[in-house]
Amino acid sequence: MATRRRVAGPVLRRVVAVVVGLTFLGPFWWVLVTSLARTGDVYKFPPSLLPHWHWANYARAWAAAPWVRLFGNTVLIALCTVVLAVVTSVLAGYAFGVLRFRGRTALFTVVLAVMMVPQTVLLIPDYVIAQTIDWLDTYWIQIIPFGGSVFGIFLVRQFFAGLPPELFDAAELDGAGRLRTLWSIGVPLVRPAVIIVALNVFMGSWNAFVWPFIMTSSTSVQPVEVGLATFYGAEGTDWTGLSAAVTFTTLPVLALFLALQRHFVTGAYSAAGGLK
Amino acid sequence: MATTQLDRPSRRGVAVRSRRRSRDRSGPTAVLFSLPALAIFAIFTILPTAYTFVISLFDWNPLNVSQSTFIGADNYRKLFAHSTPSFAASALTSLYFTAGMVIGGTAISLAIALLLSRGGSWLSGVRVAVFVPHVTPLVATSIVWVWIFNPQFGLANAILRWLHLPAVDWLDSSSTAMPAILTYSLWHEVGFTVVIFLGGLAVVSGELGEAARVDGANRWQEFWYVTWPQLRPVTLFVVTISTISSLQAFTQFFVMTEGGPAHATTTLSYLLYQEAFVFFHTGYAAALAVVLFVVTALFTLLQFRTRRSTLS
Repeated sequence: MATRRRVAGPVLRRVVAVVVGLTFLGPFWWVLVTSLARTGDVYKFPPSLLPHWHWANYARAWAAAPWVRLFGNTVLIALCTVVLAVVTSVLAGYAFGVLRFRGRTALFTVVLAVMMVPQTVLLIPDYVIAQTIDWLDTYWIQIIPFGGSVFGIFLVRQFFAGLPPELFDAAELDGAGRLRTLWSIGVPLVRPAVIIVALNVFMGSWNAFVWPFIMTSSTSVQPVEVGLATFYGAEGTDWTGLSAAVTFTTLPVLALFLALQRHFVTGAYSAAGGLK
Repeated sequence: MATTQLDRPSRRGVAVRSRRRSRDRSGPTAVLFSLPALAIFAIFTILPTAYTFVISLFDWNPLNVSQSTFIGADNYRKLFAHSTPSFAASALTSLYFTAGMVIGGTAISLAIALLLSRGGSWLSGVRVAVFVPHVTPLVATSIVWVWIFNPQFGLANAILRWLHLPAVDWLDSSSTAMPAILTYSLWHEVGFTVVIFLGGLAVVSGELGEAARVDGANRWQEFWYVTWPQLRPVTLFVVTISTISSLQAFTQFFVMTEGGPAHATTTLSYLLYQEAFVFFHTGYAAALAVVLFVVTALFTLLQFRTRRSTLS
């Protein structure tokens, strides 16, 4: 009986695991099938679970909104935010991780305190501020506020704190400036942290909705997700067209995830901090 | 510009390298380096938080700020007054959603993590499948689930019909709308916590479990008395981050139900959005924001605590 259990155990475990996996993937298949169905197909029972390769839905959905512009905006906003957040995180992470100075603990506490403020709370005052400085409906309001990342500073600081401090002292003796030291020695050594921060900020920016939805009003500066929500609001019953739009707006994120899967998992561990 | 300014003191300090001196030399550099991040935090997070408190004390006129009048704690008194939906009702709705996400999310992700742990590379494909929803944009996948929950033609009711069960109105009924949104949100979030739990399980001692089995413990006893206690810090972490993120959840409510039907899914975050940006009751919405801030801050402090205990 013991041997039978040893054989049945792993097999059962695998079967259950595959069922769980397929359940999570189900909605992806469902939206793909719907996006390729003829309009009449989606009103049948039982629903067809195989695609009909009806590409006209994609053409219709693509023509319904200025997607090229929306994608361009999203990429521009995401890349600018990543560059800014990585630069500010590396600089501050280096300051907190390597340099010893008066007030270090106090300043770092301020950084941690920033974590306590959720974005929802900031919508009202930041809207008023953006209104005052004429930043409503611009790229700026979608980039600059996200150019500082507590998670990023925290992670880079941890990486720097793990390096021998002499590394930076030695280079300093050679006369290289702090900034040059940081760029030539520091950044390559904390590259894993930089990649995780970049990916984290990029995904946050790409998937953002509430913030751009509140702060912007014209498609010339809006990101894809806001455009998709607008399309949904206007064509809420065109399920085949909506499914096509969902598919082509989500594909870039999925491709990025599949290409950089390992870093996503490391990123999740890093977010958990010290749970490695 | 920064380089030349920083070079000078460093050359001067080469001869004597006391801790005290290096501290003095690093000061300006450190301030300069942390300034960009701190400036962004100050302008867009710290000052605005204080500003929210200020706004919450005014009958705020969003179209003409100079016409706002100071009304003291009136907006906070309004929290307990009768309105539709009331603060109390939406606080309960938030509690419903948060409890569902925390309890359901922790249980499901722990179960999946246990299923996938020690499974070798074969099960890593399943892990990817479970994680994928987490990277998808909320707007896009919320739309997919609205279609899944479509009462006439959706996948959910097709499955029920196939099982000879009665159809459900899902998002159109005030009793099933929240369970439907919870199902979507769990599908979206669970992958992240599964990975966290897998990380926790990887460092759980296998020897202790083996010892328990030698002593005659069965699988369940081994989990309950040996594995689970070792996972406590990780669980506490998962519970606090799920609480914080569930309290902020907005997009799925906006796309799937717009807070309805009959306010059944109007959470605090949704009420805040509605009061501030649909009805322009900015002062009242700011009072809601202050409440949300206090609750979130408390849970963040708790999270710092758990993180520290995990590290030590």
